[in-house]
Amino acid sequence: MNEIGLSQVLFVSCALFFIGIYGFLTRRNMITMLMSVELILNSVNINFIAFNKYLFAHKLDGLFFTLFIITIAAAEASVAIAIIINLYRNYHTIDVEEVDTMKF
Amino acid sequence: MDFYDILFWILSVMAVGCALGVVLSRNPIHSVIFLILTFFAISGHYLIMNAQFLAIVNIIVYAGAIMVLFLYILMLMNLNADAEPQKGLLVQIAGILSGGTLFLVLLAATKSAHNEEINKVSTNVGLITNLGKLLFTKYVLPFEISSVLFLTAMIGAIVIGKKEPQLKNGEEHIA
Amino acid sequence: MNAIIEATIYGVFLMLLGLMWQERKLIWAISIIPACLSGYFFITSAAGTHEHEITARVFFILTQLLLATTIERKYASIVTKVLFIALLVGNIYEIKIHNNVPELLFNNMLRIEPSSLWFNLLMTGAAFIYIMLMNKDIQKVGNYVAEYFSLIFFILCGLYLLSSYNNLLMMFIGIEILSIPQYILAGSDKHNLKSSEASLKYFLMGAFSTGILLMGIALLYGAAHTFNIMEMVGMLHSNALDPLAITGILFIIIAFSFKVSAAPMHMWTPDVYDGAPTVFTAFMATVGKSAAFFAFIRLFHFSFYDLSEHWILIIACITCATLFIGNITAVFQQSIKRMLAYSSIAQAGFMLFALLAYRPMGMQSIIFYATAYSIATIGMFAVLVKVKDYTYDGFNGLAKKEPLLAFVATIFLFSLAGIPLTGGFMAKYFVLLGVMQHGDMLWLVLFALLMAAISVFYYFRVIMAMYFKQGSPEMNSQVTLYDKVMLLVTCLVVLLLGIVPQFFMLPG
Repeated sequence: MNEIGLSQVLFVSCALFFIGIYGFLTRRNMITMLMSVELILNSVNINFIAFNKYLFAHKLDGLFFTLFIITIAAAEASVAIAIIINLYRNYHTIDVEEVDTMKF
Repeated sequence: MDFYDILFWILSVMAVGCALGVVLSRNPIHSVIFLILTFFAISGHYLIMNAQFLAIVNIIVYAGAIMVLFLYILMLMNLNADAEPQKGLLVQIAGILSGGTLFLVLLAATKSAHNEEINKVSTNVGLITNLGKLLFTKYVLPFEISSVLFLTAMIGAIVIGKKEPQLKNGEEHIA
Repeated sequence: MNAIIEATIYGVFLMLLGLMWQERKLIWAISIIPACLSGYFFITSAAGTHEHEITARVFFILTQLLLATTIERKYASIVTKVLFIALLVGNIYEIKIHNNVPELLFNNMLRIEPSSLWFNLLMTGAAFIYIMLMNKDIQKVGNYVAEYFSLIFFILCGLYLLSSYNNLLMMFIGIEILSIPQYILAGSDKHNLKSSEASLKYFLMGAFSTGILLMGIALLYGAAHTFNIMEMVGMLHSNALDPLAITGILFIIIAFSFKVSAAPMHMWTPDVYDGAPTVFTAFMATVGKSAAFFAFIRLFHFSFYDLSEHWILIIACITCATLFIGNITAVFQQSIKRMLAYSSIAQAGFMLFALLAYRPMGMQSIIFYATAYSIATIGMFAVLVKVKDYTYDGFNGLAKKEPLLAFVATIFLFSLAGIPLTGGFMAKYFVLLGVMQHGDMLWLVLFALLMAAISVFYYFRVIMAMYFKQGSPEMNSQVTLYDKVMLLVTCLVVLLLGIVPQFFMLPG
């Protein structure tokens, strides 16, 4: 029916993973860093669904893993927001480079 | 090239392009909007790959809940300015190098993945009936246990996020 | 299984205790629901399965606990102690009824084995000692005392999952349940800048490593076609290993190195352990870390054991780097709290030896090492919270002012350094013995001994400050008789671990 193979889908997911890691390492805004983590998680989700579809379509294991990743990411995001709000109250910034009271 | 192929490539270009927009744009609000677009593109991928329920969940949870939360925080803190300073060139190069190495490793690994025929027998495998049945039989333990995680997140949001009355908030700047 | 349920319910109970003891009538009304459910499951359990009976019991306990939440909030710490005793009894009971055969539960999601139960028991014991020692100091951190205790119970719930998972999905959920409460505890001192910062760093690093872990699991899924760690063994073959699997294993190693703070992924550790409130650092650095280690070793010794030629050298290099960085950097620290953070990295290096050991020995030695390390570190932190100034100078002359405090601190430091007759010595002996069986790992053992010798230097600096320097250390709080008794008991446990180690070893 179509020519899209597993490796094409995996390529997209790899690219998203790379972009997420690059963003996580280079951005200084906490919210953007969080968004980069979400990108990484989404690239993983694509992987799971692609493997599930192309390798063993009769089972649903990969879909379930994705489902749990999505739910847990939501829980993690809420904690992250609480931490960031608290930090903002203390520092009045969300720039990670300015948050460095501890030095070696 | 049939319809699905073209759709796949459009969605892929959209996902990768918007993801680049997320990490490259200086304005956090733009990043959020790019990320929402990325999620829509990824949901499109899920639809192509027969995971209809997940496509919907992805939009509801990510675009609907998490991203709205992020937007809300950005607006609450009035952070829509473009003023974010950039990290040094060294860090950028390090970021590209480390990310790129992982990318190459991943690419090399996934190249070898079996390129099997797409299984056409069960196109409705990702529908909610099948998922629901499994969720309450095989996956009942993770399903129940993840409620512990939500409780933890709830407690966390209350413990950390709530203002404490007896201390003056906002007045304790960096000592 | 019972332990997981118990820990969860106690946590929920404390949460309710914290949140809404004022709303008594509402809770009385709500408690009808679990009571009815309990009745329903009890009736069906006659015809149904063992799992129905467990569920019935769960709802019954939940009802009782809901009713008990109507007591006042200030009793949270006493309630916690009682619940901890119940948890310990529950763990012992579970070992008693367990018949030494691995038991599969909930469609192969969990696989309960003697080693997991034994690890559960010892870690619950360590957590119990922690609660008994730090109880008063936890109450000083902030307003949410009941919530802190409930988070500690949730961490234990994550620990029980990690000690018995049989499916990578359960491992992932277990790691999240273990980590998220730790992020919160690290930031619980809300008006302290260092605490908020520690929480942020911990969270960012934790979320990032979770992403990498998931990528590893995804690739492994592509290669092995299953999430079941037992079925995986049959799917992966050493001589024709899929590159996907190798990359997946590599990613999992990186992610777990983050979680257990092994070099070169250890950067977050000193800042987080230094910034977090001291009482919670004591818990995170011991029980939290040990649980991550146990999960690490469980996965690698169950699923990837036959592939060890592919990963053993990476682990050996990580061990080497961790030992080196942890010990050398610890020497240069000025604050004892930060020194203990680096020492926890160094101890992680020793724990990694359990991963390199052969199969039954590795599991055995990690359980023993985790216990010995946890109890000694908890004791040392308990001494630390009593003293106001965390620098070495702050400890000057402690022996004159509080002789007992200085004495127990010396024993704990002896144990951490691995001096004979303490638990730390036997622990180091067991992990190194396990690796000695590999003929070609001798260089690593010698290197570890050299590093252990270096570690003696910085541990003894504290003892020198306490005994041989003049000064009058300022105390944070009065050292009461209760504290002294508890510290002596902890000290006794550390010595018992060294004198009769077979008593703490996995039976059989």
